[in-house]
Formats: sequence, C-alpha cells, structure tokens
Amino acid sequence: MREAAMDPLTTTPGPARLAVAALDHVGYTYPNGTRAIDDISLRIDRGRILGICGPSGCGKTSLLNILAGLRAPTAGTIDWFASESDRRHPISMVFQKDTLLPWRNVEQNAGLYYGLNRDRRDGAAELVRELIDMVGLGDFRHAYPYQLSGGMRRRLAFIAAVAAEPRLLLLDEPFISLDEPTKIGIHQDVLRIVRHLEMTVVIVTHDLAEAASLCDRVHILRGRPTSIAVTHEVELGSERSVLDLRHEPGFLAVYGRLWEDLTREIVHSKGATER
Amino acid sequence: MTPELQIDRVETPQVKWQPAIRPLDRPPLSRLRVLALQCAILVVALLLWQYLPKVALVHDHVHFMDPFFISSPSAAASSLWALATGTKGYPLLWPYARSTIEAAVIGAIVGTILGAAVGLFLSNSPRVSQVLRPFIVAFNAIPRIAIIPIVVVLFGPTLQASVLTSITVVFFVVFFNAYEGGQSVPQHMLQNAALLNASQFQLMWHVRRPYVLAWTMAAVPNAVSFGLVSVVTAEVLTGTPGIGRLLYDSVTTVEVSETFALVAVLGAFGVTLLILANLLRSRALHWWARD
Repeated sequence: MREAAMDPLTTTPGPARLAVAALDHVGYTYPNGTRAIDDISLRIDRGRILGICGPSGCGKTSLLNILAGLRAPTAGTIDWFASESDRRHPISMVFQKDTLLPWRNVEQNAGLYYGLNRDRRDGAAELVRELIDMVGLGDFRHAYPYQLSGGMRRRLAFIAAVAAEPRLLLLDEPFISLDEPTKIGIHQDVLRIVRHLEMTVVIVTHDLAEAASLCDRVHILRGRPTSIAVTHEVELGSERSVLDLRHEPGFLAVYGRLWEDLTREIVHSKGATER
Repeated sequence: MTPELQIDRVETPQVKWQPAIRPLDRPPLSRLRVLALQCAILVVALLLWQYLPKVALVHDHVHFMDPFFISSPSAAASSLWALATGTKGYPLLWPYARSTIEAAVIGAIVGTILGAAVGLFLSNSPRVSQVLRPFIVAFNAIPRIAIIPIVVVLFGPTLQASVLTSITVVFFVVFFNAYEGGQSVPQHMLQNAALLNASQFQLMWHVRRPYVLAWTMAAVPNAVSFGLVSVVTAEVLTGTPGIGRLLYDSVTTVEVSETFALVAVLGAFGVTLLILANLLRSRALHWWARD
C-alpha cells in the first residue's frame, strides 16, 4: 500500500489521502485505430467523489470502461491500492442504460450481487433492506421494474451497485434521463448513502449542477486529443443539502467556473474538429 | 429581411380554421358485441356453405361448388359423429387421434426443451456459435417440411418416426428463436452482472435464460402448429395410423365430408394446443408482456 503523499501524481491540497487508484499516462485506441483517450493521469482518492466532465465524444465513457476493466488501456498504467485485509468487492458500476433484470423484483434486483455471490451473504439481507428503505422504495419491495417510475428504477440501479459495497463505485451519467426535481432527490440519496458507507465514487456526467452538487473534485476533459484540461476542487463540505446548495454563492461560483471551462473546451474541440 | 417577415406583412383577410381530428384511440367494442359479430360471421359462413351449392345457377357454373366436392356442414357434422362413434362404416377416430396427439405433444415438449437448451448454450458461447454459424444458417434455410421425408427414410413408417419428425421440426423452429433471444440480451446488462462477479455460467443462467425463455415462448405457438403439420404429413407419407392416414384415405376415396370432419378435428386440436401455450406464456412471463 502506498501513501498518497508519496505518490508523484498527487494534486490534493491539504491532508494526504490514501488513493484507490492512480492512472499514469493512460491512453486508449480502438481496434479500428480511432483514438478515444490520448493521455490521462489522475488519482482517485479514497472516500471521495470524483467527477469527470467534458464535451460529448471526448472519451468520458471510455475512461470509465477502462476503470471498470471492461476495456484494457492501450497505453499507460493503472495502479490499484487497497489494504491487505480488504476483502471488499472491487468495482461496481451504474450504467447509463437500464440494467435492472425485469423478472426480478425490487428486493431481488437490489440484492443481485448476493444472488451471484452466495459466499458473501452474511448480513446481506439487512444491508439490502436498509438501502431499499434509504431510497424510499420500502413499499415497493416486491414490485417489478415495470411497475416503477423512471426515478425509482434509477434509485434501484444505484443501490444494486452500492449493495456490493465496492472499493470503487462508477457512475456513468446515471441520472441523465430524469427531471430536475427527481434528480435533486436522488442526488441527496446518493450523497447520504455514499458518505454513510464511506464509498469512493467516480461519476461521469455532462450535468454541471450534478457535478457541483455531488463531487469533491471535478476534472474537465479536453476532447481530441483527450486529456485533463482543468481540475476543480469543490469545497462545499462532505455533508451537503443538495436543494439548499442551489442558492449558495459557493455552489454558484463553482458552477460558473465549471461552465466557463467546459464551454471553452467545447469551443476548442469544435475548432479541432473543423480543422 | 427574412422571408417569414415578408409574409407577415402581407395583409390578407383572416379565416377561422381547425386542424382535422384524427382519433386513433377509438374505444374497443364490448366483449359481448365482438362475440355476437363473430357468431354472426360463423353462422353466415356455415349457411352459405350449406345452401349456396344447392343453388343450380351456382353449382352449374362453379365446378367446386358441387355438393359432391364441397360437401356441407351438416354432412361434415354427421361424418364427425360417425367417426367419433365408429358407426356407418367409418373407422373409430380415437385410436388414430390418440397417436397423432401423442406424437405432436411429445414432439412439442421435447423439441421445445431441446431447442431452448441448445439455443441458450450457443448464444452464451460466442466462439462455438462463430464456428457453427454457417451450418446453423444452412439448416435454417431448409424448409421445415423438407426434413420430414429424411426422418421417415431414416426411421421407417413407425410411430417413432412421427415423433422424431415432430421433435426435429419443433426443435429447429424453437432453436432459432431461443438463440436470437439469448443474443438479444443488452450488452450493458451482461457487463453489469459480470462486474458483480457473475461467472460465464451465471451470465447464461441468470441473465440470458429468462430472455431465451421469453423468445422460446414466443416461438411455441408456431412450433406447435409446425409440429402438428409434420406429424400429419409423416402419417400421410408413411401410412402409419393417425389422423393423417385417415385424411389420406378419405381423399383417395373421395369421402369429402370425412375430410372436412377430420380437418375440423385437427383445427380443434391445434387451437387447444395454442391456447395452452399462450396460457403458459402469460403465466410464466408477466414481466415480458409488461416491460
């Protein structure tokens, strides 16, 4: 295990944090020769929420797929860190598209991880029940996905990934299709659960309000060639009321800076495409 | 100046207008009304069948409208009764019906289970299916009915041949659907389960199997009809006892009323199988219908 402060990739001000992973000059080229990611170096701090934003098509989802192990990087390395006694599940992910199994009810979907890993069942039922209650699906325990609203389905997909208690939770634009009030409600649930379980999260989003509400740090990516353009620390505290945050000058300032940087990157990537 | 602004400035007299109303959601007919209409259609068709061939003008000008060829519902009904009771020199229907039904039901059940299992396995084994793909495509291109003579040649004119024909035909119908079903599972669902530690077998059993089941169920009504057709065809070809044999005999002896009666029996049997298959589907796959 390495100390974060010893890591040359560290950019975190303040007290040194342990890292879950460090990406060193990671690149990815599709088998057909298209470059998705050119050069990304970043670290994922334990217990923090890291946001990745950027113009569309800049390789955000490819980066997440590499972190998930669904693709292997074609350049660079990723170092993963954990304490020796850490027996937790490595990584789970909330996909942009629906991954609920339509023939399993809420409880069975939320506990899918334990359905697949029978050796890990100790205390699972209780955790799953607690998570279901925390996102307000307590009355829908035996309902099937087709009986749930869009927001409920997303909540369920989220707790199904959380229930595995992973070392790293990946969120790929998970709440993109929801209306604003539903989204704010879910953001609050996400924050509460993630902080409660001290989970490490990487979220890819193009919703800047989402990034500013949830994240401790946000990387804005530059498209083609893909690399990190700017990094913002979001110092709004770890316990936040997502709804109240919307009026706070601190939040508005972060949002403004993210907006400015993202717009610049969009213009930059458009220019690069036209050239 | 843009063209829109120019148009706005032209002063023309205003008229009131309304978009056409095109209601696509007209309320469905009541059940009673539907039933009444269906009965009316049936009665009219039977009456036409019964009395039209008796009109001289009709049977003089239209060759097949002769009662000798087209029979009549009353004659078909009395033949059916004679078949059911084994009277008026007709053979008793039930032993024949039994062997046809047995062959068709065994074929439907065994063929469906085998087809679904092989479809599931191949859809979960991309490399194996990559190798077998040309054979699968070639088999799929062969008309199902063309398989029957081959099985008959291989197994001779026996009840087993009828059963095997039915199994083979049902297997291929179900297999292709089951395979497609297994392939239709969205990639992100498989990735999600894989990230949660699912083994290749668990992906097959927990994620692909329900899809395969749904697609199999969708194929079952079709497979059952094909299975029945194949059994009857095998009986016609081989002369093994069964409704197919009775049909063949009735055609060669020009017993038209008996032919119609037997077709009605086969129709009733087919409909019963279809109703059972649909019942099974709606029970087992409530999530599929609603999702």
